[in-house]
Amino acid sequence: MRRTPRDRLLLALRYLFLGACAVVMVYPFAYMVSTSLKSRTYVLSDPTRLWPDEPTLDNYRQVLTAEHFPRYALNSAMVSVASTVAIVLLSSMMAYAFSRLRFPGRRILFALIVVGLTIPTMMLIIPQFLLARDLHLLNSLPGLVPFYVGTALAFNTFLLSGFFEQIPRELDEAMMIDGAGAWRRYWNLAMPLAKPALGTVVIFSFLGTWDEYAWAVTVLNDTDKRTLPIAIALFQGQHSTSWGLVFAASIIALVPVIAIYLTFQRYFVAGLTTGAVKS
Amino acid sequence: MTVTSQTPSAAVRAAAEGWRRASSSRARRTALAGWLFVLPGFAVYGLVMLYPAVQTVLLSLQDWTIVPGQESPWVGLANYAEALQDPVFLRSLVNAAAYTAFTVPLQVVIGLFLAVLLDGYLPGRVLFRVLFYLPVVSSWVVVSLLFRYIFASDDSLANSVVVNLLHLSGSNVAWFQHRWTAMLAIALLGTWKGIGWSMLIFLAALTAVPVELKEAAALDGAGAVRRFRYVSLPAIRSALSVVFILLFIGGFNVFISVQLMTGGGPSNATQVPLTYMYQQAFDFLDFSYGSAVSFILTGTVLALSALQYWWTRRREAL
Amino acid sequence: MKHWKAGTAALAVTIPLALAGCSGAGGTDESPAASSSDASAGLSGTVTYWHAYSEDSQEVATLEDVIIPAFEKANPGVTVDAVTVPYDELHQKLITAAAGEQLPDLVRADIGWVPELANLGVLEPLSTSMSDFQDYAEQVYPGALATNLWKGTYYGLPLDTNTRVMMYNADALAKAGVEVPTTIDELVADAPTLKAAGSYAFADNGASGWNVLPWIWSYGGSITDDDVTVASGHINSDASVAAVQMLVDMYQAGYIPSIIVGDSGGLATSDGLVSGDYATILDGPWMFPIYQSQYPDFELNTAQMPAGDGGSISVVGGEDIVMTSTSQNKEAAMAFLRYLLSEDAQLAMAKTGQMPVLSSLTDQLTAINDYFGPFVEQLATAKPRPVTPAWNEINTILQDQIQSAMRGDVSVKDALDSVATQADALLAQYS
Repeated sequence: MRRTPRDRLLLALRYLFLGACAVVMVYPFAYMVSTSLKSRTYVLSDPTRLWPDEPTLDNYRQVLTAEHFPRYALNSAMVSVASTVAIVLLSSMMAYAFSRLRFPGRRILFALIVVGLTIPTMMLIIPQFLLARDLHLLNSLPGLVPFYVGTALAFNTFLLSGFFEQIPRELDEAMMIDGAGAWRRYWNLAMPLAKPALGTVVIFSFLGTWDEYAWAVTVLNDTDKRTLPIAIALFQGQHSTSWGLVFAASIIALVPVIAIYLTFQRYFVAGLTTGAVKS
Repeated sequence: MTVTSQTPSAAVRAAAEGWRRASSSRARRTALAGWLFVLPGFAVYGLVMLYPAVQTVLLSLQDWTIVPGQESPWVGLANYAEALQDPVFLRSLVNAAAYTAFTVPLQVVIGLFLAVLLDGYLPGRVLFRVLFYLPVVSSWVVVSLLFRYIFASDDSLANSVVVNLLHLSGSNVAWFQHRWTAMLAIALLGTWKGIGWSMLIFLAALTAVPVELKEAAALDGAGAVRRFRYVSLPAIRSALSVVFILLFIGGFNVFISVQLMTGGGPSNATQVPLTYMYQQAFDFLDFSYGSAVSFILTGTVLALSALQYWWTRRREAL
Repeated sequence: MKHWKAGTAALAVTIPLALAGCSGAGGTDESPAASSSDASAGLSGTVTYWHAYSEDSQEVATLEDVIIPAFEKANPGVTVDAVTVPYDELHQKLITAAAGEQLPDLVRADIGWVPELANLGVLEPLSTSMSDFQDYAEQVYPGALATNLWKGTYYGLPLDTNTRVMMYNADALAKAGVEVPTTIDELVADAPTLKAAGSYAFADNGASGWNVLPWIWSYGGSITDDDVTVASGHINSDASVAAVQMLVDMYQAGYIPSIIVGDSGGLATSDGLVSGDYATILDGPWMFPIYQSQYPDFELNTAQMPAGDGGSISVVGGEDIVMTSTSQNKEAAMAFLRYLLSEDAQLAMAKTGQMPVLSSLTDQLTAINDYFGPFVEQLATAKPRPVTPAWNEINTILQDQIQSAMRGDVSVKDALDSVATQADALLAQYS
């Protein structure tokens, strides 16, 4: 496209605005990085001074060589990936049914999903613990998965229903006339069209399960079963915390989260639905 | 189910109608498919969320003693009656409502604005998408601490803005000593941390807008505002209401930021329902009262969401 | 400071001695370690032990690499399964596990949790079920032991202890030309001088029991009666009111900074002491390693809690060791509990900064960490917070009311009368 001077000015203004926003948004993260480069920081310093006097990678070295740290990262990765896959599959199936299939009880079940959105899960921790005990899922990494999936389903089903609503009904009906069953319409039509929304679900689900702490620390005991957030919390002491170490560990733990984000935000490409709508 | 004959694909619709009428066994099959699609997810959800939730409701009707083998007498709705007369709990509801009223519109508007800016062609947009998402993944401990520095009672950033720049106050403000100034700091933190979250959902939703449509509108000479109003907005209306409801529920359930920034203090001034519930249940071991508090919150939020839903539907119908 | 490092290095030297003491035929030795090895013949099984020792310091390493191996060597049939839980989550995890009957055999519990857990009925009453309980009770500091007493029965034994002493910035005092205050009256009298020199006389980060009880007790006041059944006539007695009035007057005159009324955006006590903004604070022994690491140039000075009519009385902190009533292996758990209270185990932990509870070790403490000195001295008179499951709630009410009085919303007398009425009702629930 040809650029007029007005376009150039608009583009410059856009960058200026985005840049200013970026500074505000990134500052705390920069502070985390800065602190992680200081050794032996037991008291957090004034955040207006970002660059540490004697930057060092000691904290990173210490975290990465800490006993079992790779093991804890692997534990978290396995639980998060398994949970995320299950959440994407189960919540998209439910959302598809709620927005596209007529069946008795649909409204009641959807209402129960909405109720689940508003219940503070923290209050359920004791009944959930008793349930996990009776199902022999205490102190077990695979045992975390059903609980992570169950607590995430309401949110993701609700989110996806909104996106599935947006897919033109004509497409469904056209496929129906061709004799396609519900599963084919879900898998071959709705899922590809909902890719951006599914990307969002993957990003949020992975972040949620990767960061989950309260439930894991309640049900896990064995040292070799710890997840990453427990390991990071244990870098904090009762009376004193080496913040540089904690932040270095937190930043290392962010790497997979950002990688997942970068991978799945690629799905947010405009025009995916274009061809389909026209057909 | 409303079928209008004015849709562009009226022929397809008509065919579908005929096909529907033709076979009621297909409707039965659709119903069966619906159940099969919902069953696996709902089974997990029912077991892990609804079943414990029902147990928690029962718990809120008792004077629960925690340890099995000890008697937990039934007290009916006494815990609910007590909560509804508890000035601290009522204040916590008002605080959460104020927090929601402040943070939800800002997150929606700013998140949507950034999403629109980063949706179109722009070199380096992936970098910006990552940078704006960083607050979402940053540690709550870090951001709470930073906001405490920003709103510190001496010559802090917030005070220099309020005293020197805007001249709203003659002297430094002790932000965390007063209810509304402390809630403002907490709400600004919530807004700041949530913008990237709503931006992400809007980015996903904006992909539904066909590029050709945007380009056509641009060629027609439609201004950015008009383009947004007539091309983008209709495509993301559903996502908009989803984000709105999720943020609304999330606003009433604000917890970690309050816990880390003020702990509900000073003297319960900044208590929100979940910090109060946590204190009652896990500090004072009154789980029955904590459960009652959380279910009153759930009921309030559900009622308000339903009202909102009804209101938006009514407006659409007009 | 140098002793601290020397102490860590000396650790390696004492381990072999500790093991020798255990395995030796010390039948005549009266130390708890010896009696535990006598009684432990033929024990077997696994003992699970939940604790919140710090992994960032040497605490967890000492437990897992020194104390547990030494115990397991002396008791070949027993395995100790120690679970490190982040401190902030241990309480929640304990309560949830109690509801699900999944508690471990032994818990290192914050002293405040013992009456609460005892009241839930999940703790083993040690004073009736531990045959040699009295021997141990006589060897530990009485203030620390008292934190285990609930309704006439001891449900645990102290494991480590601490207290708050006065820490001061010598430069800030010198700049104002005042001496280190030894009495509360001196501190109050020096406050205007210190203010003129640019320092707050005293700073604290809240008005809870941990913060204000040293002042109330040193004034001769109290919170409840000795049996912890009633607060009226104690928390609102003349002496208690006078102590709180003193703090309120100091705050309102600008001699105490606003972090005491919950201004969480204010300058932290640890930073303010270094900068000289705060001339004095009260804090615990854990501050020494923090200061050493963070502000190596700052000379941290300590003195006893300033005295009033009631003397110089500070507040006891620390942890107790408790056994759960659901423990399936009480014999072996008891043996490990005894070992944790042996001189060997207590000295090993002392090197990580945990203050031992055995009064017989008092003389050795300053050789391990010279900063332990003033804390040991203060512990001789220090008192525990009221031992009751209602304390968390009373504590919250106390802080709210005192902060209201400081803001001028209510008079000190009315505030403390209100605390007394509410506390009486709470205490009545547990009597």
